[in-house]
Formats: sequence, C-alpha cells, structure tokens
Amino acid sequence: MIEIADLTVRFGGVTPLDGMSVTFPEGTCGLIGPNGAGKTTFFNVLSGFVSPAAGRVRAFGVDLLAMAHFRRARWGLRRTFQTEQAIEALSVYDNVALVHEHSRGTRATRRRDVLDAIEFVGLEVDPHERVATLGGRDRRLVEVARALVGAPRVVLLDEPAAGLPEEETQHLGRVIRRIPEHTGALVVLVDHDMSLVSACCQITAVLDFGKLIAAGPTAEVLRDEHVIRAYLGTEEQL
Amino acid sequence: MPDLRPYLVLGLALGGVFALSGVGMVVLYRATGVLNLAYGAVGAIGALIAWSLINTLLLPEWVAYLVAILFGGVVTLVYGTLFGPPLAQREPLVKAVGTLGFALILLGTMSWVWSYQAHSLILPTTQVGFQMGQVRVNLTQMIGLGLGIAITAATAAFLRFTRLGVAMRSLANHRETTAMLGVPVRRVEAAAWLTSGLLSGATGLLLSTLVGLDIVGLTFLVIAALSAALIGRLQSLWATMVAGLAIGVVQACLTPFDAISPYRTMTPFLFAIAALLWFGIAGRGLSRA
Amino acid sequence: MSLADESGPAVAAAIPRARAWVERVGSIRSVAFAVVLGIVVLALPALVSTFWLQIATSVAIYSIVALGLALLIGRVGLISLNQIALLAVGGWIALRLGFGTSLPYPLLLLATGVITGVIGTLIGLPALRLSGLYLALITLMAAAAITLALQATNFPNGGSGFLGYSGTAAGSVAASLRRPALLESNTAFYLGVVGVTALMFLLAALHVWGKAGRAWAAIRQSQPAAIAAGVNVTLYKLWAFALASFMTGIAGGLLASSAGGLTTYGFPTQDSITLLAVVLMGGIYSFWGPIVAALLLKLLPELLKNWGLPPDLLTILFGIGVLQVMLTAPAGLVVQVPRDFANLGRMVARRFSGAAEQAE
Repeated sequence: MIEIADLTVRFGGVTPLDGMSVTFPEGTCGLIGPNGAGKTTFFNVLSGFVSPAAGRVRAFGVDLLAMAHFRRARWGLRRTFQTEQAIEALSVYDNVALVHEHSRGTRATRRRDVLDAIEFVGLEVDPHERVATLGGRDRRLVEVARALVGAPRVVLLDEPAAGLPEEETQHLGRVIRRIPEHTGALVVLVDHDMSLVSACCQITAVLDFGKLIAAGPTAEVLRDEHVIRAYLGTEEQL
Repeated sequence: MPDLRPYLVLGLALGGVFALSGVGMVVLYRATGVLNLAYGAVGAIGALIAWSLINTLLLPEWVAYLVAILFGGVVTLVYGTLFGPPLAQREPLVKAVGTLGFALILLGTMSWVWSYQAHSLILPTTQVGFQMGQVRVNLTQMIGLGLGIAITAATAAFLRFTRLGVAMRSLANHRETTAMLGVPVRRVEAAAWLTSGLLSGATGLLLSTLVGLDIVGLTFLVIAALSAALIGRLQSLWATMVAGLAIGVVQACLTPFDAISPYRTMTPFLFAIAALLWFGIAGRGLSRA
Repeated sequence: MSLADESGPAVAAAIPRARAWVERVGSIRSVAFAVVLGIVVLALPALVSTFWLQIATSVAIYSIVALGLALLIGRVGLISLNQIALLAVGGWIALRLGFGTSLPYPLLLLATGVITGVIGTLIGLPALRLSGLYLALITLMAAAAITLALQATNFPNGGSGFLGYSGTAAGSVAASLRRPALLESNTAFYLGVVGVTALMFLLAALHVWGKAGRAWAAIRQSQPAAIAAGVNVTLYKLWAFALASFMTGIAGGLLASSAGGLTTYGFPTQDSITLLAVVLMGGIYSFWGPIVAALLLKLLPELLKNWGLPPDLLTILFGIGVLQVMLTAPAGLVVQVPRDFANLGRMVARRFSGAAEQAE
C-alpha cells in the first residue's frame, strides 16, 4: 500500500500539487484528471525528480522521499514515461537487463527473469533486436517489461496507451491487469483512456489543478459529477 | 612585499579586456545559444592582418586597425550566418563544439600564413600616458579598463532599453515564440554575431599590445573570458565583468612572486573550478546550458 | 537416439547466441577485416623503415587516447577537451616514477594510469553534475592551465626535488623513460605497444558490452530514464571519466618510453581540440574510430611533410571536419535530455503564469 499525505509541490508561482492525500491499497489503481492536473508531477515526486514543498509518502512502510532517487529503483520503484524512454542504442534484452542488474535481482536468475518479462508483455521480437528498429507499440511494451523485473514493489505507468490503436490498448490492458498477481507489485496507472482505466483499476483517484477531487471504486468515480465537470471544464450542473 | 602597483595597473587593463570579452561572449550566448570559443582566434587573426598591413604593405596604422576590427566582425558574421541556422535547434554544447571547428580553421590559417614566429604590434595609444606616483599608466591600459566597464554598462542598458536589445533577450529564452511574434530572428542574431566579431577584433588589438602578438597566447586568452563568463553563470553581465577584472588583477599581481609566478596563468582555471564547486554546493541552477 | 538429435537443442540454442556475438562484433566482414589488420600490424616491422615504425608506434599510442575520448563522447555523451593535457600529465608521472622508483615497467604503467585517472576525475568532478557544456569548458581551461604549468615545471629528467627536473642536466639526460630490457629494440617496443593497445581496446569492449555500457547508453539517451532504472548516474559518469583518464595515463607512460622522450612543447592546448576533431571525424560509435583518429593525427602530418605540403592545412581540414560532423550527425550525437529538474519546474511555472524572465 502507498499512503500519500498532504503532498504539495510548488514552482515559482504555481502549485502543481496541492495537499494531495490518498491511499492506494493494492492491485492496480488509477490516477486520472485533465491535462495539467498534476499526475505526472506526482509521478515525478515519487521518482525523485521533483522535491515536494510538503507532505509524506509511505510505500510499503518505507518513507520513499527519504531515499536517493536512483536507490528507489533498487528498492522496487518502477516507472514508464509519457514519451516512451526505451533505450534505443540497446537491444530489447539489454533494456530489461539494465533494470534487473540495478535492482535486487540476482545474476543467477537474470537471463530467465528478463526473457520471462519479455514474454509476459507479449513482445514477439528477437530479444537481441535493437530498440531503435522497433515501432511505438513494441517500445512501450519494452518499457513495461522493464517495470516487471527485479522484484518491483510499485509500478508507475504514465499514459502507456497514449497514441496506441484500440487493439493494442486492449492487449496492454490485459497485461497490466496481470501485473499485481505476477509480481506482487502495486500498480498506479495514469491514462486518459477511460475504458483502459475501468478495465484495469479497482480504485481510482482523480486530480484537478493539483487537488484531489475524488477517490474510490472506479465505476463510482467515473460517474461522479465533480469529475465529469473537471473534464468538461464547465460550471453548469449536469 | 614587492610593489604591486604596476602590476595592478596592468591587471586592471588586462582584466578590463577579459571583462569586455566575457560580456561579449555572454551576450552572444544569450542571443544565439552559441558560446563562441573562437573568439580569441578571431582577435588573433585580426591582429596579424593588421601587422601585415602595417609592416608588409606599409599602410597607415589606423587603416590597419580598422581593417582588423572589421575583419573580425565580418568573419564572425559569416560563420554565424553559415552555421548558426543549421545548428540553431541543437543543444549549446554542440554549437560550442562547432565554434571549436571554426577556431581550428583560423588557427591552421594563421600558422600557415604567418607561422609561429614572433610578431609585434603595439598600439600608438601606448605612447600616451601619465605618471601616477611611481607607476606609469598608458592610454592602452586605460582603454582596456575603460572599455571593459563601458561596454558592460552599455550592453546592459542596450539589452534593457532598446528594441533590438529586448529582442535579443527574448531570443535567449524563446526562439520560436519570438519568431512568431514577428521579430526578425535572423537579423537580430546577425547583429549579435557582428557585434561579437567587432569586439573580437578590438580585443585582439588591445591584447597584442598588452601581452604580445602570439597566435597561441591570443587564441587561448579566450579562456580567461570563458572563466569570467562561467562565473557570471553565462547570464549576469555585471558578475562577468567583476570576475574578468578579478582574474586579470590576480593573475598580474602574482607576477613578482617568483615561486608562483610561472603558474599564474592557471588563475582563470582555478577561479572557474572554485566557482563550479560553489555552484555545486550552493545548488544553484545554471542558465540554459 | 542419434548424436544429431541429442546435440540438436544445444546447437539450436548456440546459433542465436553466436549470431548475436557476431552481430555485436559487427558482421563477418568486420571480423575478417580485423584479422587482416592484425596481420598487417604484426608484420609492419619487417615492411617499413625505423622512422615509419616509430610513427606506427605513435599511432598506436594515440589510438589509446582517442579510444578514451571516443568512449566518453560516443557512449556517455560527455565531451572532454583536456585529454592531450592528461597525456602530458601521464607522461610526467611515468617519468617521475621511473626516475624516483624502481617499479617494474608494467606496474609503473599501471600506477601511472591510476594516478592520472584520479587527476582526470578530480578535474571533471565539479562539472559532472552540471551540464555537458560546463564540463567541456572546465576541461578546456584545465588543458590550458596544465600546458602552461608544464612549461614551468618541465618533464622530469633525473634531476632532484619533487619536480625531478634539472636545467643543467638538460641535453645530457633526456626526459625519457627507460624501457624494460624485453622491449629495448624498436621492433620489440612497437610490438609491446601494440599489445598494450589491444589490451586497452579489450578493456573498453568489456565495459561497453557489460553493465557499464548499458548504464552509459541509458545516461546518454535520457538521464531520467537512467535514474528510473536505478542507475547511479553520477557514479557512472565518474567511472567513464576515470576510465578515459586511466587509459590516457598509460598512453602517457608509453609515450615517455618512445623515441625522443617528452618535450614540454609537445603538448600544446590546441592539440586537445585537434584530438576532439579527429575523434569526431573517425567516428565515435565504432571501435575503428579511434584508430582512424590516430592515423589522422599522427600519420597524415608525416605524409604531408613527405610530400612537401604544410601540415597546417590539416588543422584547417580538421576544423572543417568538426563542422561537418556537427551538421550531419543525427540528433543523437551528444544526446542528453536536458533534465535539470529545477529548470523543468521553472519551465512549467513560466508556461502557467507567463512570468517574465529575470534577465539582464
């Protein structure tokens, strides 16, 4: 479980996150909100790229913010990026091995773990193929595969389905749903595709202008009028 | 304790030229994203051309100096026009490496045409001077210091108050947005390049007089300017100016101390390292680099 | 069951592995080329005069230096402009150790490499957390500082004191490192140098194909992605710097033992820039690049002199070469997604509030 308490981030005159308090219990949890709501900022705080002005994050009993950013991956934090960042110069295998060798995974099981992860996400390319030769869909799968190795505890997926056609999104959904049971990790999914979020997440939180405006079972949250209003940006009663 | 006053004078003059060069580099960097590492080489070749015009073609001195300054402006403008736009979207490091290529071309040309033998170019302003107590101060030195301060002040005012200056500041931060607002980006950049080149030519002449006309020495005096610019975080003109003066003064004043004198040319490097350590510890962000 | 059936799965597993290995080394043609080159290199002493053999020795030594720089630029995306100055530092240390201690040659080279590695790292350390531009600038300044200091300290030539330099002895005792008995002759020394060069390339390959290479590739493309993968970015950058400086130090030791020893004017600041030029021109992504770079740097000037042309033309050519590489290189030449996170925040803030920049 991840407990976030009063998380606040300030840059200059802007407050991308404002007193965010929420608990993600287990399994796959959604985090949605209009553009600029603070979702990626939240991920950046967890990743250690941004320092919060206030607030605490406890993940599986550990104070995450007290850890140096690169150590969080060893602890078990995994992250995919809005613009995918699979390393082009490396092969698929090396991309995943990269994460494995900087985590708590051991050398003995490395080959097995890496190939398993590649298979799990349904990536059907030669592992020694360089990522530079792959298309967008496969690159995103490489990123997801990287998130699965070396005993992950928290997996952050930042709009993994962005720009993907329907069929690929569904495939991705099937993969994401199976991550918690396969790895024991807690998944936080940020995406704009509501069908993906509904299909994968039991619990969903909603951010708008840095503030948490709803959190709870996904179906209820998606019907909440405050949420709908935030997305449509209108003051009218619906 | 040896008498430092003559060295102080030389140091202030030299420092003034460092400041002048540093400010020129910062402004060009802010306007185009290019840190012109060929700055010194342009000055050197300008001075050599002046030397040849005076000694080989026997032209009047003022013509030679004018040609030197103009040449600096033109050759830098040509570089900026040819290689500025294609590299405009690249990061500052790539642009700076490009100017290293420019520097190599100039260095090769200089060693080919003039070879490494010693030449001498003394500005006539050196003959004019006055006595300040025990120390003689000549006009060249005063120009060095005076230009350093004057150009810094003028540039700061220019950037704040004139239309072209504001356009340059705007370019520093948002090139695409600035272009969309109808500012003639290419023309503003060309102005920045030309000015940087004219300054190169002028500093080349001043430095030849103050420290000697030597290809390598002049080219790599850009390092003192770089150090000053770095201390100013590639952003603050006044900090750059003060840093340039400090470097010049410290370096010159170390001359009479025999034990460290041979190492005094390491001053710019040491200043820069100290500054970088300070930035690292103080955790300040650095501008756009 | 026949032998073929039993060995079948093993062979089937081995083929993709072998193919991957060959792909790594870059195709059969590349391997063949390497073999031919190896033969030529080893046969050279029998084919050319002493003078050209010394040039070849110099090419081998400088290819080590070029290798270090190519690793830094091509694999990690860092630009260092003081490698030639570090070469001089390495030479100086080797000479000092040579005159002051009785270390056996291999150990002496190793010690030189390590000490130079430490010095090189210390120079780059303040800038490693900052952007690539600052690293390039500080190393350029260091190069000038070292070159100028060298003119004051000179190379050790057996004199007394820390500097080990004796002005009166100059001319009678050269700043030259004695070779081990085994490598006394020109041919033996040449082969020894080639051997060390091969070892350095092997060291580089082990890094690039191993954990360090993967971490570096991540750093080069995107520091946030590297951090998110658990890579200690600062450590790996430092390590790359240390490795390049280590190799350069060893090259310095070899250079000190080569014909003529070391002279203070043999390491001008300009050469560090020229080295950058030839390394860029030779290509920073392949292992052939550094060899091409060394040929451009050391062989071409001699050829030109032989043909009566001024070597200054090469400097101009290299300058053009740098510009050409900068213009035509793919956007990923020195790709470092500039993720200064404080700046990122400021960028976001500016977009939201349209606040004016605090410029001059």
